[in-house]
Amino acid sequence: MTAANPPVAATKADGGKRPGDSFPWAALIFLGPAGLLLAVFLAFPTVYTVILSFNRGRGGEFTDWVGFDNWIRLFTQDPNFLRLGFPPSGALWNNVLWIVFYVSVTVLFGLVLAVMATRVRYEAFIKAVVFLPQAIAATSLAIIWRFVYAPDPETGLMNAILGIANVGPVSLLGNPDTVNWALIAVGVWGSVGFATVILSAAIKGISSEVLEAARVDGATEPQIFWRIIVPMVSLPISVVAVTLVVNVIKLFDLIFVMTAGGPGASSRVIAFSMYQEAFPQGQFGYGAAIATVMLLLLVPVMIFNIRRFRAEAVQQ
Amino acid sequence: MRKFRFMAPALSLMLVLAACGNGDGGDGGTGGSPGDGGDGGGDLAEGDGSIIVTSLWGGAEEEAFRAVLEAFTESTGIEAEYEANRTDYATVLRTRITGGNPPDVAIIPGIGTLRSLSRDGSLIPMSELGIAQGDIEGNYAPGILDVGVVDGELYGIMVKLNSKATVWYSPERFSELGVEPAEDWDGLLQLTADIKDAGGTPWSLGAADSWTLTDFFEVAYLKMHGPEAYDTLFSPEGDWTDPSVQETIDKMTELYTEENVDGGIDGALATAFVDAIAKVFGSNPSAEIYHEGGFVGGIATGQDVNPDLQGQEGEAIDWFDFPTIDGNGAGLVTYGGDVMAALVADTDVAAFMEYLTTAEAGQVWAEGGTIISPIVDVDTSVYPTVLIQKEAEQVTSAEAVRFDGSDLLPGTDLGAVLQSALRGEEMGPILEEFQTQVSAAWESE
Repeated sequence: MTAANPPVAATKADGGKRPGDSFPWAALIFLGPAGLLLAVFLAFPTVYTVILSFNRGRGGEFTDWVGFDNWIRLFTQDPNFLRLGFPPSGALWNNVLWIVFYVSVTVLFGLVLAVMATRVRYEAFIKAVVFLPQAIAATSLAIIWRFVYAPDPETGLMNAILGIANVGPVSLLGNPDTVNWALIAVGVWGSVGFATVILSAAIKGISSEVLEAARVDGATEPQIFWRIIVPMVSLPISVVAVTLVVNVIKLFDLIFVMTAGGPGASSRVIAFSMYQEAFPQGQFGYGAAIATVMLLLLVPVMIFNIRRFRAEAVQQ
Repeated sequence: MRKFRFMAPALSLMLVLAACGNGDGGDGGTGGSPGDGGDGGGDLAEGDGSIIVTSLWGGAEEEAFRAVLEAFTESTGIEAEYEANRTDYATVLRTRITGGNPPDVAIIPGIGTLRSLSRDGSLIPMSELGIAQGDIEGNYAPGILDVGVVDGELYGIMVKLNSKATVWYSPERFSELGVEPAEDWDGLLQLTADIKDAGGTPWSLGAADSWTLTDFFEVAYLKMHGPEAYDTLFSPEGDWTDPSVQETIDKMTELYTEENVDGGIDGALATAFVDAIAKVFGSNPSAEIYHEGGFVGGIATGQDVNPDLQGQEGEAIDWFDFPTIDGNGAGLVTYGGDVMAALVADTDVAAFMEYLTTAEAGQVWAEGGTIISPIVDVDTSVYPTVLIQKEAEQVTSAEAVRFDGSDLLPGTDLGAVLQSALRGEEMGPILEEFQTQVSAAWESE
């Protein structure tokens, strides 16, 4: 959410203060520090990175201009980033998988849990348990799950359980066909609590008269869920979904700790590719091109967010 | 919702800081370090009496290297501080460089990294430190120094190496199973079958660390196709769609099959290098043979795996030469190693470089038992275990030695290609794709 806020604030400030006949000194003084920070830590690096993507970028500096070479290589010669074909693969495609499955499953689980939790007496306990992963640092979470998935049944919880049923051992993280799903499952596990808590609060906001009226009119529980609860919490759902999408595009730590992008490059995501190319490989220009792709992917999400905030402001 | 968002902003911030750092310093990344007085080797800036050396060694490797640093301080009076970055070494090193605060000397694993850093202008050529390649050439086995030459200038000096043509086993368990080390490829396949017949699991494989596969590919390729083809393949002219590549991969998949490898292929692909060693030499072994470099001995007998093996070298743990293939490749050895490079030009650094090219330094280091010194005057009797003595003899008596090829390639992932081969994927398109990738990477160097 914080990532979405600064542009909003800036837009509002610009729009609100310009039409004045005297120079708005007060506004300048109040906005100056924030503006300076944004310029130094947001605007400058963004512009620098975009320009760097057209450079070889030796040592992170502008050394030799290479035109669109980095971009051409990124989209046509780097199967680790994008390999078209059936099925497609590469970091960009993995991010698409993450956006589609991680976001939808997290929202769905969160919604179901939130609805069900409101109906039991130990709601607080359930929510606390589901929310618990939120309190764990992403790296710790990744390490915990690396143990869970370990192929050796003596360390791997999952394979120990499968072993009881005489299956396996299987290595989800060692197989490129399963690694992304295994990682997405961890991501979902780590984020469902967030979705549950937000959506649960939203559901509590639905007035009980509406629900009772529906029941009196003979609506079944599934009908109430789909026709009343879901539409009435659609705004919080989109808040959660957008937040999760932003998180996915910036996803890095889980991948870095659990698989380092492997096996091979099969579980790389965009942010990991950016790190891998820019820092260990020292191809800062190429890494900057990948960073720019991330930026471009975030723009529509930001626009969506800004529009929604405006719409909310109008409603209020 | 703070989970996955830390790294991306942090990384962009690093990018900015790196940029700022360079802008301010101006001299960090361009070879002329703050103390760089002139261009010629003659008038180096006076050092401040201490240097910082970084590498990724820890544990026994670190101890052995610290002994060398102490010997250096004793002989020159210059303090040498050691900094280890066990993981993400290249990342930390590049960040220090772009931040205008490079270490004085860095041990660089991977010639690809050395090339890219030297072209970035981050490294000081040896000639600038007053060290001419011709003067020290005689201290080294032939061809060893050439590995550190970039665009005609010597930037990196090989400081330690390990054979990668060693196949590890336990002589005791072999005799229990009634089998013997193999000398040629067919013998190796027979040995594998015999171990299975005797109820054992032949091979351990740690293919999660895909460089173990590239090491296998390289030594097999060298033995099958000879040094010339090897040199071409790992140069910008290399052609990965050449049938010789597929032939070598076929050998690998002939040996590493679902039945021959402990845990099957999927299990091997999720097993790390050290865990694979433990499968053969741990307290509860589940496999009999393991191919990897000479450094396996030190790890297998160390804290990470099984210290009980110490003193039993040659009995409970030993290795045999990687077998010849179709009668070819006797006396051909691949090796991996690390080079040291200077990032600051001053007299202290020059003295350090000079010291490390001496037999005295090589001797101290060799006594630590973790490395083979590339310096010819180091007496093999100083190596503390029979395993390392044998390894040193294998390398020094080799007909030809070749440097680890995947370390020569620019930022590409041969290991991933070989992992696909292991999973039985159709290699034609994958190799074509890799060829495109490699040539793009060579071009963008």
